[in-house]
Amino acid sequence: MGYVAIKGGGQAIRGAEDVLEALRASEGMEGAPLSIDAIENQLRLLTSRIVSEGGLYHPKLAALAIKQSQGDTLEAAFALRAYRSTMPRLMETQAQDTSKMRLIRRISSAFKDIPGGQMLGPTYDYALRLMRLDLTDESPEKFRDIARQFLEQTPEPNLPDTFPKVVEALREEGLLPQAEANEALPFDITREPLIFPVPRSAALATMARAETGSLLALAYSNMRGYGDVHPTIAELRVGYLPVMLPHPITGELTEAGEVLMTECEVVAMYEDDSNHGKPTFTLGYGACFGHNEVKAISMAILDRALQKGMKEGASNPSEDPEFVLLHVDGVDSMGFASHYKMPHYVTFQSDMDRLRTTQQKHEDSKNTKMGDAQ
Amino acid sequence: MNQMLNNQSQRAQLPRLLMALPEDEVIGAAARFAEQYTIEDIKLPQAGLGLMQLKDSALQEGYFLGEIPLATAQVVLTDAQQNRTEGAAQIMHSEANLARAIAILDAVVSAKLTGHEGVAQLLARGLTVLTEQQSSRKKMLARTRVDFSLLSSAEEEDADE
Repeated sequence: MGYVAIKGGGQAIRGAEDVLEALRASEGMEGAPLSIDAIENQLRLLTSRIVSEGGLYHPKLAALAIKQSQGDTLEAAFALRAYRSTMPRLMETQAQDTSKMRLIRRISSAFKDIPGGQMLGPTYDYALRLMRLDLTDESPEKFRDIARQFLEQTPEPNLPDTFPKVVEALREEGLLPQAEANEALPFDITREPLIFPVPRSAALATMARAETGSLLALAYSNMRGYGDVHPTIAELRVGYLPVMLPHPITGELTEAGEVLMTECEVVAMYEDDSNHGKPTFTLGYGACFGHNEVKAISMAILDRALQKGMKEGASNPSEDPEFVLLHVDGVDSMGFASHYKMPHYVTFQSDMDRLRTTQQKHEDSKNTKMGDAQ
Repeated sequence: MNQMLNNQSQRAQLPRLLMALPEDEVIGAAARFAEQYTIEDIKLPQAGLGLMQLKDSALQEGYFLGEIPLATAQVVLTDAQQNRTEGAAQIMHSEANLARAIAILDAVVSAKLTGHEGVAQLLARGLTVLTEQQSSRKKMLARTRVDFSLLSSAEEEDADE
């Protein structure tokens, strides 16, 4: 396919920007601009989605991206990716330890009792999906009082800062394979193209910044029958992971900040060790920036499916690394879909010319056959 | 929280405690040391990104979760007697000015330079903010602790009624 440059339209493009701005402010004198803090806090799950799909943990910029894209998640993630591409890379961190997460939620669907206990935290899992009409006319005074009241009405708890991982308890019981130290340098998807076969670290990194809906759709295909992971959630945790970096002078590990993240381990069907070792359950792993449980669970299911595909060959689309990893990125796929809106006048003109020529040949051939018949 | 702070050196906790406070306040506190000391950059303050590596808890393999904002600075403070003290900071932030301010305060605290008592007060306030933050997170857990119990057949019949 050939592409040609076009010119013109500058005035209309500037006009389109003005129209977008006018619509954003169309409430007129009654309106007030959304503050970045309001987006970050009141639309926190949307902000979470953008930090993970944008691949950059910067909630303030993610909130700004949501504001400027008027709520379009794909555009917002695109803006965040564009920002990150302008910034210098200062370092690659050493591996962070997610067992140090300061949790706000922790559940298991595998065990009723887990060490440290299950805590639902902020979740809609058990909520009635009924419209909360009281939010349509919320008074600012009442709104400002909600968090204060919650804190005042909840007694000071005596809980540890961190909790043990459920998979480690299973590993100690010999129900999971022993983890082997793997010191291989992880694949950097921001610097290297995916040329298959790729290592598992490339798959995890690609899925961690994948578009939530795309990841869910492929994982759902596995859940419904185009696959056989049959997952049980060993643990799903949401919390703040301290990011530990060496002090530039002393080298001592120092907390540089923290990231909100979601992490999930699923236990899948057990398999016999090919070396005639003890049969153990297999595991799938998912994680992403922000609070996004559907994404972490979907990623964990796909991780397990891809492990099978990498080992034994793909029997289903969700087990095929190339199929999964090249079709889950929101910026890539949105870009391809959107490019069809750009002028294709010359290529389409060429298509029309070819069609007319073929039609003429068809007509000529029909006339010749009719002439021969007479 | 307090116990955790006692277990780690104050220097290792300093960036976290200062970042819990308003940015302007930290930058202002650092600027006041420019009156007593000559402050030079050993490395130019920089803002950029860090690629964050995690170890997956299923198979213990390293991978990159994504990027984080990162600002770094390294400074040296020289007093009238030409005594030199180095300080540095590496923080998750997109403002190099804040990293430079924390690097200055890092030097002040590590060598207990004149005026370090004022910084200690800032650190104490940062600790209060973080303690409250951690308390509110724990309250979210405590308020939603769940103890699912298996429904016995007798209870199941009751529940159905």
